[in-house]
Amino acid sequence: MPSRPSPIAFQSASPTQSMFKKKSASGLSTAASYLNAVSAADARARTRSSAASSTASTPALSMSSSATSSSEDTVLDEREDFTDGLSYPRTPPTSSQVFTTVHSEFGHCANDDYRYTSRHRAGTPYKSYPEQDPPYYILLTTYISYILVICLGHLRDFVGKRFRAANYRHLLPWNGYAALNSDFDSFYTRRLKLRIDDCFSHPVTGVPGRTIMLLDRYSPDYNKTMVPTGTRTRALNISSYNYLGFAQGNGPCADAVETSIERYGVSAGGSRLECGTLDLHHQAEALVSRFLGVEDALISSMGFATNSNIIPGLVSKGCLVISDELNHASIRYGVRLSGANVRMFKHNDMKALEELLREVISQGQPKTHRPWKKILLIVEGLFSMEGTLANLPVIMELKKKYKFYLFVDEAHSIGAMGPNGRGVTDYFGIDPRSVDILMGTFTKSFGAAGGYIAGSKAVIERLRLQGHSFTYAESMTPPVLTQVIASMASIMGITMPTEKPHSSSSLALLRSSSSDVASAMSEADIIPGTAPASALPSWMPLAQPMIDGSDGRLRLSRLAFNSRYLNRGLRKLGFITYGSDDSPVVPLLLFNPGKMAVFSRMMRTRQTPIVVVVVAYPATPLVTSRVRFCLSAAHTKEDIDMVLRACDEIGDYLDLKQGPGERWPVEEVISRAVEIVRAPEMAC
Amino acid sequence: MSSSSQSLELLFTFLSRSYATLETNFFKLPGSAVVARYVKSSHQNDPGRTLLEVILIIFAIRTLLQSRTRGDQSGKHFIQFDEKEIDELVDEWTPEPLAQPLTPEEQADLASVPVIVGPTGPKPKLASGKTVINLASYNFTGLAGNEEIKASAVETLRKYGLGSCGPPGFYGTQDVHIQLEQDIADFLGTEASILYSQAFATISSVIPAFCKRGDVIVADRGVNFAIQKGLQISRCTVRWYDHNDMESLEHVLESVEKERKKRRGPLTRRFIVTEGIFDHDGAMSDLPKLVELKKKYKYRLILDESISFGSVGRTGRGLTELYNVPASEVDMLVGSIATSLASAGGFCAGSHIVVNHQRINGTSFVFSASMPAALTVAASEGINILRNTPSILSALQENIRAVRAILDRADCITIPSHPASATIHLQVRWPTLQVPMHTSSSSSPSKPSNPLNVKPRDAEQFNIELEEKLLQDIVEEALAQGVMITRAKRLRGQELVEARPSIRLAITSALSRKDCEKAATVVKAAFAKVIGKRR
Ligand SMILES: Cc1ncc(COP(=O)(O)O)c(C=O)c1O
Repeated sequence: MPSRPSPIAFQSASPTQSMFKKKSASGLSTAASYLNAVSAADARARTRSSAASSTASTPALSMSSSATSSSEDTVLDEREDFTDGLSYPRTPPTSSQVFTTVHSEFGHCANDDYRYTSRHRAGTPYKSYPEQDPPYYILLTTYISYILVICLGHLRDFVGKRFRAANYRHLLPWNGYAALNSDFDSFYTRRLKLRIDDCFSHPVTGVPGRTIMLLDRYSPDYNKTMVPTGTRTRALNISSYNYLGFAQGNGPCADAVETSIERYGVSAGGSRLECGTLDLHHQAEALVSRFLGVEDALISSMGFATNSNIIPGLVSKGCLVISDELNHASIRYGVRLSGANVRMFKHNDMKALEELLREVISQGQPKTHRPWKKILLIVEGLFSMEGTLANLPVIMELKKKYKFYLFVDEAHSIGAMGPNGRGVTDYFGIDPRSVDILMGTFTKSFGAAGGYIAGSKAVIERLRLQGHSFTYAESMTPPVLTQVIASMASIMGITMPTEKPHSSSSLALLRSSSSDVASAMSEADIIPGTAPASALPSWMPLAQPMIDGSDGRLRLSRLAFNSRYLNRGLRKLGFITYGSDDSPVVPLLLFNPGKMAVFSRMMRTRQTPIVVVVVAYPATPLVTSRVRFCLSAAHTKEDIDMVLRACDEIGDYLDLKQGPGERWPVEEVISRAVEIVRAPEMAC
Repeated sequence: MSSSSQSLELLFTFLSRSYATLETNFFKLPGSAVVARYVKSSHQNDPGRTLLEVILIIFAIRTLLQSRTRGDQSGKHFIQFDEKEIDELVDEWTPEPLAQPLTPEEQADLASVPVIVGPTGPKPKLASGKTVINLASYNFTGLAGNEEIKASAVETLRKYGLGSCGPPGFYGTQDVHIQLEQDIADFLGTEASILYSQAFATISSVIPAFCKRGDVIVADRGVNFAIQKGLQISRCTVRWYDHNDMESLEHVLESVEKERKKRRGPLTRRFIVTEGIFDHDGAMSDLPKLVELKKKYKYRLILDESISFGSVGRTGRGLTELYNVPASEVDMLVGSIATSLASAGGFCAGSHIVVNHQRINGTSFVFSASMPAALTVAASEGINILRNTPSILSALQENIRAVRAILDRADCITIPSHPASATIHLQVRWPTLQVPMHTSSSSSPSKPSNPLNVKPRDAEQFNIELEEKLLQDIVEEALAQGVMITRAKRLRGQELVEARPSIRLAITSALSRKDCEKAATVVKAAFAKVIGKRR
C-alpha cells in the first residue's frame, strides 16, 4: 500500500543500491527491450536452423528458457511500467544471449554457475535441518502477545455485545435463530486475524510468475473493509507455488493451451464416467504415469478433491491410517470421510512411527483386537509449511518390515525435487514403483490445476470406480489438460518418431494419430522416460527446447540453485529456518505474531516491493509463526540477492537472527553464493 | 497521611497473615513439599522458566479441557506384549491387498464409457469415429464451444497464464475471481458469493463450515452424494424427511422442536438441507413452501442448485427465478459453474456474513488453489450471455418439452423428474405383475418414517443389478443408433440410500427441436427393444 502506508509500515532507508537500480532501470528499459527484440529475432532464426537435429546440444549461452517457434516479440508488448526495477534485468543481455521469456514472468539468467541439481547425497541419512528453539524471551513475548490480544478481544466482545448489539447480531442468538458463527473460529478471525488482514488475500492480477501485480488497497476501518485504490504495484513474487515457473502467459505451454481452447473450448461436460471423458484425459493420464514411471494414473479436476475423494476409495472401516501430524487438510478430510481409524505420529519422527507401528499391529483394532485389514501410511513428500521432506529411505525400510501401504502426497515435491523433477522418489533415488500410491497436484509445478493419483494398474482401476471423483465430480477441462500435457512433456523431453523432422513448426504433421497411445507407452520401462511424440495430441505445437528437454533441465537446475541458495543464505545470515536445504519451500521463523504483520508490510513497501506469505496458528503450532518463501525457477540470482538483503535489513530491525552458528554479512553471502550452494554440507 | 499509612499497614498485616495460612495449608497437602522444592530450584536456575511453565500449564489445562474425544487409545483395552511377541505378531500379520482387482463386469463397465475425440458439444465425435447426438453431457445452455467464450478465455490466458498457483489467501485471489463472484451475486440477487474450484467439492465444504457438532440438520432422504459427505464431515445431528415431501418435512421440524422443548436444550443452529432439482431423479423442490417452513420454524436453508442453476427460470437463474422467490431468502445457495456455464467450479451465494465466514472456514476454499483465470472469465462471459439471451432458456425448455412429449408416452419408462427439469431420469417400468423382488407393501401407509433413520419406512424395492444391466443395454442400443446417453452413475454401497437405477438424459439448448425429437424416439425404441425382449 504505497499510497497510504499503514501505521507500522516501514519505508526502508533505501540503500544506494536500490536508488541506483531505480534510476538505471528506467534508463535501461528501452535499451534492454531493444536488445531483447534484436536478439529474439536472432534466436528465432537460430532455433529454426538448429531444430533439424533434435538432439543437438544448445549452445551454452543461448539457453533460451522457452523459445517458441512462433514467438512474437513479447518483450515489446504493452507493459506500461518500466520503472519498477523488476520488469527488466539490471544488466542488459549481450548479443549472444537469447531470452524469449518475459523477464517479469520468467527471469533472464544466463550464468551457468547459477545452476544446481537437486539430489540426495547417496549414502548419507536424510536429516532435515534441526529445529531450533529461540531464546526464552522470544517465547515469552510470543505467549504474552497472544494472551494480550485474546484478553483484549474478549474485552471488546464483552463491551461490544452490550453496547453495540447491532454490529454483533450475527454472533448472538437473534429472533429465534442461533448465532451463525459464535465459536472460537469466529473469535480468532475477528480478534486476531483481522488485525493483520492486510497481509492476506491480497487481490492480484496478471501472471503469478516471477513478479506479480498487486491491486493496491487500503482499509479505512482497521481491516474491516478493504477499499481498492485503483493503482497497481508490481512486486517480486516469492509466494506463489510456481516452482518450475510454468505460470506464463507466453511460451510454448501457453501456445499449446491457446490452440486447445480454440479446438476444444473450455468445458469437458460432466463427470468422467458420465460421458465427460475426452481423448485428452486418456493422453494426460498416460503421460502422467509415464512421467512418474508407474503403471497407471488417474487425474481429477481439483487437487484438494483428489485426496478427499480418493482416500475413501482406498481404506474403510477396519483399516488404519497412520498420518503425519502435519499432513494437509485435504488428507485429513479424506481420511475422515473414509471411516478408517486414524493414528498420528510426530512430524517426520521415524522412531515414533516405528513405535506406533509396533503398537498398532500388535494391538489390532480397538476393543475387538482383530487384526487390521490394512494399514496405510500417509505422508507428504515435501511438507508445505515446514520445507521438510518425508524420510523415504527409512520409511521404505519400515515398509518392508511392517507391511503397511504407503501413500505419498507429492503436491509440492512433484516437479520441484529430484534431478529429473520426478519428486521425492527421484530425489532419494528410490524406485517409484515401490511406493503404492503417488499423489500429486498440477497446481504447483505445472502451473495448471487439479491432481493425480498414480500406482499399479489394479489399484488405479479400482479407484476409478470406487473413488468419488470419476462418478460425481466434473472432469478436468481441456485447457487445464493441455497445460498439464505441455508442461510435463517439456520437463520430460520428447522422443520424436524416427523419421528426421525438417522443421520444428511442422512437426505436428509427422506424428501419428493419438489413438495408439497405449502402444507407444509400452516401451515405458525406462525411468525417467521421455514423452513419445505419438502420445501427445497431434495438433499441439512443439518448440525445440521442449523436444530436446533443455527447457525442462534449465528450469530444474535453476530451481535447485535458487532453493539451496536461499535456504543456506538465510542460515548464514543467522535466521532460524526449517527444512531441507534443497526444498523450494523455505520457512523463516518469526515466532511473534506481531512480527508477521510488520515483516509482511515492510517487505511489501520496500523500494522494490516483495510479497511474502506469513502463516501462523492454526496452520502452524501456536508459537512458531513464520514467513514462507516459495522459490521458483523463474527467479534470477539477483532476485534472491534482493530477498536476502531485504531479510537482512528487516531481520535486524525485528531481532529475528536467533540462529546458531557462524554468521556472514549479507554482501559476503551474495558474493560467495556459488560456493555456498555447492558445499556438500554446510557447517552450522 | 497517617490514617492512610495506618490503613496500608492493616492491609499488609492482613496480606501476610493470609499468605501464612495459605502456606501452612499448602504444606499440609501430601506431596506438596516436593512441588515446592521443584519450583524453588527451577526458579533459582532460571526465573524466566517458572513463568513460562506456569503459562504452559495454563495452556495445557486449557487444551485438555477443550480437546475433543479421541478414539480410545491404550486405556483399558491395552494388552501388554514384550518385544518378542510384538515381533511375532508383526511377522504374522498379513494385510489385505490394497485394492481388489476389477471383476470382468466392472472392467466392462469401465470400458463402456465412451471417449469423445475433440470437443464435447451437441454432436461430438467418438473414438469409434462415429458422430452422435449428445444427450449425456451437462451443457444445458449450449455454451460449450461458444466462440465468444473461447475468445475471452484465450485473451485471459495471455494475460494471466493458466494456473493461479496459489490458494485464495496467499495471492491466489485475482481480479477475475472477484469479478465472477460479483457477477454471480448480481445475477442471482444476493449480497455476495464465493467460488470453489470444483463443483463437487463445494457443498461438502459449505455444510461443515456452518454446521458443527450439536447443530441440527433436517435433510431430504434423496440428497446427492456431495451433500451426504458434507453431512458426514459436519458431525451434527441429522434428521431425515421423505424425499421431496413437504408434509413429512413439517412433521420432522415439528418433532425436532418438541424434542428440544422436552430436553430444554440450548438454542442451536438449525438447517434445512435439500436440492433445487435433485441429482438422483430430477424431482424439483417446492421452494416457496420450503421458505415458508424455514421461516416458521426458524431454520436456515442450504439449497443445492447444482442442476437447477442455469437450467430453469426465464434467464436461468434457477429455482428462485422460477418461483419468484428472492434469492436472499435462501441462506446458502450453492450452485455449479461446470454444468450450465460450461466452465469448472462451484459457488455459494448468500449474505456477506455467510460468504466471509467461508473465506476462512470453507475447507476446500482455504486449502486449495483458486480456479484458473481463463475458466473464471469464461464463466463471467457465460453469465453475460445468459443475461442477454433469454432465448437460450426458452429453447432449452422447448427441447425438454419435446423430449418429454415422446418419452412420457412410452409404456416401459417411468420418469420421476419434474417436467421442467433439464435432467430427465428414465427408470424401467415393469408391467405390474412382473416386478422382480417386489414385496407389495401392506403396512399402513399413514405411518411416517423414522426421522433418525435415513432409510424410509416403505422403501421402494428394486433389483439394482438387473436394472443396471438392462439400462446399460439400452444405452448401448441407443449409441448404436447414434444417440449418446448414459446411466446415472452412482457409487453403489457408498450412497446412504440406494437410488433406483436410471438413465439420465441432459437436454441442451444447442440441439434443434428436431434432433431432440429424433434422439428421444431412438431412446424410446431402445427401451422398447430391450425391455420388450424380456417380456
Ligand atoms: C499437500 C497438499 N495436498 C493437496 C493440496 C491441494 O491442492 P490444490 O490446491 O490443487 O487443490 C495442497 C495444496 O495446498 C497440498 O499442499
